[in-house]
Amino acid sequence: METEATPAQPDVSDPDLVKRCQEGDTEAFDELVTRYRTRIFGMIYNMVHNEQDAWDLAQDSFVKAWKSIGRFQGKSSFYTWLYRIVMNVTIDWLRKKQIKGAGAEFDDAIQLKEIDPAAKTAPKADALPYERMQRGEIRAKIDSAIAQLSPEHRAVILMKETEDMQYHEIAEALGCSIGTVMSRLFYARKKLQNLLRDVYENV
Amino acid sequence: MFMKTFEEKWTAWLDGQLTGKELVEFEDSLPDRAAAEAEKRDAKKLGSLLKQELGVSTFTNAEFFSHQLNERIAADEAAEDRHVTRSTWWSLPRLAWAGAASLAMFVLFTVALMRDKNPADQSQYLSQILNARVDPALGPNATITMFESKEARVTVLWTEGLQSLPSDFAAK
Repeated sequence: METEATPAQPDVSDPDLVKRCQEGDTEAFDELVTRYRTRIFGMIYNMVHNEQDAWDLAQDSFVKAWKSIGRFQGKSSFYTWLYRIVMNVTIDWLRKKQIKGAGAEFDDAIQLKEIDPAAKTAPKADALPYERMQRGEIRAKIDSAIAQLSPEHRAVILMKETEDMQYHEIAEALGCSIGTVMSRLFYARKKLQNLLRDVYENV
Repeated sequence: MFMKTFEEKWTAWLDGQLTGKELVEFEDSLPDRAAAEAEKRDAKKLGSLLKQELGVSTFTNAEFFSHQLNERIAADEAAEDRHVTRSTWWSLPRLAWAGAASLAMFVLFTVALMRDKNPADQSQYLSQILNARVDPALGPNATITMFESKEARVTVLWTEGLQSLPSDFAAK
């Protein structure tokens, strides 16, 4: 797992920082947050497609991690454990949003299609937080395609393709079997291949 | 890795996780090897696309994120401490109230039971006649038999040997 800013190996290992966290050292936790915040935020953002929501969910995840770090036994790596919390928080949130919205899940994705960026009446580019993310036409298509996957399929394909996680790591993070992970990957890939064929064929 | 379903084997094949005998068996089982290879290439392209487009996310205000997170954790912990203190403080009066209420209930039940065993509606005459009996001046050879029915609220006294009745007995 790479760290956020520097490609060099960190001075203190994750297990050492975790141990200090378990003794109540908030500075050690701050160090862990700094190491993983960008990856966690990126992962959540790719699942929810809204910067503010991703920010809030990342915060919720880290708060939960801090509160339960005393129970972390080190059987898996810290980041797998952290991903499990992140996935629980994010998938729960997506499910609730799906129930609430009854299908109209990604309002920001709909807005992107509906508003012409060149129009004079369109909102100013920097006015909304999510617009700070550089999103071109390809990115919008990918987001739209991913939005059509179930939260579980989304999680699996993103962890595999963007995080390079192994099957067993994904299974640990999602609390399911390796077979389930592979099966979900199969269906998620099939669907995305159908939805994004014109994109990856022309890139 | 033990794989049961076609989906699992296909996924492992795409990701290059099948080796040796498993790989040979799976590739032999494919009905259209060329189509499968084309789909494998598609899956690789999809993977590259996702990695390229989604792999790097810009996290603006990362420092502010950590700052806010620290403040939130500190606020949560302070709130939890207050909650613990408050609940400890409240538990003592609650305990006292519960103890007092239990004691009052116990006393009430005990009194009710005692009254049941020694009902107050016992005839007033009984005590008067009994008093007369122990007074040798009023009736040294008096005998008294009592019949009492609590349900009917009736007391019958059969007296023998009384030389006179107490003055207030007849009046009642």
